[in-house]
Amino acid sequence: MTEARKHLLSIAAVFAISLFFLAYPFYVIRPFRYQGPHELPVALAILHWRPGVEMVCAATAIVAGYLFWRTKSKLLAKIGVTIAVLVVCLFAGLSRVNIFEIMFHPMGRPSFEAANETKLDGAEMVMAVNLNGEARAYTIRSVSYHHIVNDEVGGVPIVATY
Amino acid sequence: MLSREIDGLKLTFHLSGINNQNFLMRDEQTGTYWQQINGVAVSGPLAGKVLKLIPSDELTLALWKTEQPHGTVLKDVATYASKYSNRDWDVRMKKAPTVLSFAEHGLKPRDLMLGIQAFGVARAFPYEAVMQEKLIKDHVGPEGVILVVGPDDKSIRVFHTKSDFYRASENGSFFLMDSATGSKWNFQGCATEGSAKGACLERVEVIKDYWFDWLRSFVGAGYGALAADGFGESFAEGAGGVEHPAADCFFGRVGGEGERGEDGEKG
Repeated sequence: MTEARKHLLSIAAVFAISLFFLAYPFYVIRPFRYQGPHELPVALAILHWRPGVEMVCAATAIVAGYLFWRTKSKLLAKIGVTIAVLVVCLFAGLSRVNIFEIMFHPMGRPSFEAANETKLDGAEMVMAVNLNGEARAYTIRSVSYHHIVNDEVGGVPIVATY
Repeated sequence: MLSREIDGLKLTFHLSGINNQNFLMRDEQTGTYWQQINGVAVSGPLAGKVLKLIPSDELTLALWKTEQPHGTVLKDVATYASKYSNRDWDVRMKKAPTVLSFAEHGLKPRDLMLGIQAFGVARAFPYEAVMQEKLIKDHVGPEGVILVVGPDDKSIRVFHTKSDFYRASENGSFFLMDSATGSKWNFQGCATEGSAKGACLERVEVIKDYWFDWLRSFVGAGYGALAADGFGESFAEGAGGVEHPAADCFFGRVGGEGERGEDGEKG
């Protein structure tokens, strides 16, 4: 096998691996899609390892692409390889994107106001807690968008979710 | 509402996925994935752990302010306020498709239920039935409970009691009354007048959830699809050889004399 072919195979392999690691969790973990009891843990495991795998794939693709350019292959082939390497690098970048937090922005550090100062409508539904004498209410209208509020009430770290 | 502490770690959560219509959270500290509705870790270094449920209420802000005038309220994040849901979000979501169904129980997947896990069993009550009746006396396992709709006609609390209670109002003021002593009780479950004054009923935690999600999350085994066939069999066979916790589902109104009350009338 020629050197050029070896590098091409390397790039093809890391392209396929990085595409699989990027796409499989997106495919499985979708709203309104049934997730079987076996595919979800596989998808989550892939998510766990994905950043590292994608970085290795990108590094491998870059090295293989550089070595391919040093061969006597045709210019068109070299351009094709460059595009493939860039796509693998793009996959590596996309693998760090949390699509769910793009759809529903995280609340970040929550801020509060006194009950007697709020201008919110009394008909708002809230989730309320009372811990160690401290009472706090979270409007369902806002938490149903952000979904998660990391907080501390009465010295107790809690997470309000909806 | 869940605790963020487990095994000495204080976790910070991010929205990270969805599992059969219930979302997944991922903590920054260990990378573990957690199911939102029941706090079960489904994947990662802490898989199998369960976050502690923090007692909480769902009620109108106006009612909450009367009970907790010195409390604090979450402020809207101005940047995203235009994206916030309308107040009837859970009602509108009833029309959304589901991926799980347990048709053998005669309930629609997105029927809202009041799920209780207490006294060794799990039991769910149809939300609409409770809202209609205003006060239901029933049991969870061997223990008596009452499910009470609050003076805002939106909030529901559950109390552990075997006594007969009635929901009443006087001069626009809401109260509960027990038939044993004739004492008046507030919506926080504490007696304010009468021979029982000062006593408080034990609160029982209740979760408002869609039927398919509650059944899967609190009665089924772990995450992923509940083996609906297996679950159906346990009901049909009288729960012989059931591996998961005993489950019992309330499908209709509580009937019978003396078991429901509304505005002081004995049912």
